[in-house]
Amino acid sequence: MSETLSGAQILCRTLVEEGVQYLFGYPGGAIMPFYHALGDCPELRHILVRHEQAAAHAADGYARASGRVGVCVATSGPGATNLVTGLATAHMDSSPVLAITGQVSRPMIGRDAFQETDVIGITLPITKANWLVQDAAELADTVREAVAVALDGRPGPVLLDVPKDVQNQKAEYRPKAAARQPSPTPHAPSFADGVAEAARLIAAAQRPLLMVGHGVILAGAYAEIRTLAEQTGIPVITTLLGISAFPECHPLHLGMPGMHGEVHVNRAIQQADLIVGIGLRFDDRVTGNTAAFAPRARIVHVDRDPAEIGKNVKVTVGIAGDARDVTRRLIEAVAPRRCDAWWEEIRGYMRVRDESWRDGLSPEAICRALFAVTGEHCSVVTDVGQHQMWVAKLFPYRRPNGHVTSGGLGAMGFAVPAAMGVHLARPDEPVWAISGDGGFQMNMAEIATMVQEGLAVKMAVFNNGYLGMVRQWQQFFHGKRYSCTPIWSPDYVKLAAAYGIPGWRVERARELEEVFTEANAVRGPALVELVIEQEANVFPMIPPGGSLSEPIETAPAAAAT
Amino acid sequence: MAEPTHALSVLLDDDVFALNRAVGVVRRRNLPIASIAVGPSHIPGASRLTVMMQTDDAGADRMVKQLQKTYGVREAELLRAADAVAREVALVRVHAPAEVHQELTEIAELFKAELVDEGPDVFVLQVAGAAWFILSFIRALERFGIMEVARSGAVAVRSAAPPVPSSPTSTSATETVL
Repeated sequence: MSETLSGAQILCRTLVEEGVQYLFGYPGGAIMPFYHALGDCPELRHILVRHEQAAAHAADGYARASGRVGVCVATSGPGATNLVTGLATAHMDSSPVLAITGQVSRPMIGRDAFQETDVIGITLPITKANWLVQDAAELADTVREAVAVALDGRPGPVLLDVPKDVQNQKAEYRPKAAARQPSPTPHAPSFADGVAEAARLIAAAQRPLLMVGHGVILAGAYAEIRTLAEQTGIPVITTLLGISAFPECHPLHLGMPGMHGEVHVNRAIQQADLIVGIGLRFDDRVTGNTAAFAPRARIVHVDRDPAEIGKNVKVTVGIAGDARDVTRRLIEAVAPRRCDAWWEEIRGYMRVRDESWRDGLSPEAICRALFAVTGEHCSVVTDVGQHQMWVAKLFPYRRPNGHVTSGGLGAMGFAVPAAMGVHLARPDEPVWAISGDGGFQMNMAEIATMVQEGLAVKMAVFNNGYLGMVRQWQQFFHGKRYSCTPIWSPDYVKLAAAYGIPGWRVERARELEEVFTEANAVRGPALVELVIEQEANVFPMIPPGGSLSEPIETAPAAAAT
Repeated sequence: MAEPTHALSVLLDDDVFALNRAVGVVRRRNLPIASIAVGPSHIPGASRLTVMMQTDDAGADRMVKQLQKTYGVREAELLRAADAVAREVALVRVHAPAEVHQELTEIAELFKAELVDEGPDVFVLQVAGAAWFILSFIRALERFGIMEVARSGAVAVRSAAPPVPSSPTSTSATETVL
């Protein structure tokens, strides 16, 4: 049964067909036919952002929280280029985002028309695939293909560039014939031998570690990882994007590794004789100098993407496959064991750092109070910088996939818009966007979006008056020359008032719980400013390019140049 | 650049976006590239991209894996130069006044080059072969006055002989990938 529709109508119909509920976008000249058609499509809820970058981050947040494709829409030219940071973020962090951009009409392409930009060319390296739709008759199948590519295998962003005349062009529309069969993984692995070898290595290891990353969350392998850990007693390390793949409070949880990993975590890596890495990519922030990374360890690497295996570190056994499938096979293949002596050794590495904070307003106190108020269903979306590291290490995540952050790209300004997407995916659970004063000011205009669209995102700003992480690097590595890192902030309480939402300023630890309770109880968005110490540092720290064995644990006394 | 060490051979969908994406993956490696050639393959709807480049075996392995997951790429393999047969075509426009016709014709015969077009004082010669052979031909014509050279860039296939075993110094990034 077919009917004749415009390209714009076909686009709307196909999105609905693919189960899309939310679009984050911003209209403009070359996408106007689509926005016209959207008016007849109540199944699609459009969230009008204040900047297209926020649309891409929000779609990314929605995708990460829901496991479904997140959709953002922009016009040609500046609208399309504003999406780029968000698409690059989704690309680095394997998030299935579909971007739809308007393009100038086909006869105008290549003539530097008003608001023309080669967004296909611009986004080639930061998308899994992109398409310039040449004919409305191809539109439905291209949307279906785009959604499938975004979700298939290792997820990632895709972009559909639709010329304005194609949106207006009439074509036959046929609903999708049948449910799409999941396409087979292109490199269907037969990894039985790899699993057997991995199991043998696990049985023989004296100092094994499990390192789990985002792949575990993408595969929903929470229960499997927990079973594998409990069956073997192996300590579990969660990478930045692996946080909330394993309960923080679990006795087998060790912590986050890498540049700001705790000393005992990195030391365990350096002493380990076996690392079983599942769904991570051994990023340089995790490994430090790879030549000095885990020098005693053999590495078993499980990843959905065969191109990741052996990319950054040399592996003994590589298994290309889904984290859940492979972990299930590992559970079957691995005999129960314990790691008591190894745990004893690791406990010997642990130490308490003596840090004092003005008025007790420490990241630890903040995370503790927020958790006490929000409970175990809270999702925390962080931005980039010092607060990101503090929250990653100190918030006692319970909710699987409750931690969302911009890991690979490290895009400041991510938290506030991404939290809007997380909120729409989890409307009945508290969602907190935590930013620094730098990143918050990048996308704080999205408060208006929250108000207009009724998105109950709670925001907390760690305000230290600095671009804190850069300032910390300046202190450690650039002779304390705080070049261009002091940053002024508006009065956030008044800012909140200007947007018509409640705002609080917290300067003492004892105020935390009461303010968080009130903010969390508000029906709509709310803003909490946390006035923390100005020159606090994130410890420990592995210098960039350094070995995990050589952490910086205190601020250098004399400034180096 | 120095001699290319590898011939990258990619079978990809016959569209300019797939080509752009594949070349983008190669470009991102930031490695010296000697030539790029693209044309139809033996499969309808698929093109063959050949890139002659310098890399090491570990870098080659990483690049091929990245290409294999690239949308629009059907197959990718990187042949070590020793394991491949690589050939290209060149067209040379050369000054050819009547008094040198005899000499030019002799050189052309020596290189099995073909006179594909001629006009007053101009020959267009076509030569095919390995890169060194083409360079020798061009050098032999230099003294007549070369007006223009167009080279296709090399295309390559795996050689008919069994591959030379890997040298012991070459390291693969993975011991076992299943």
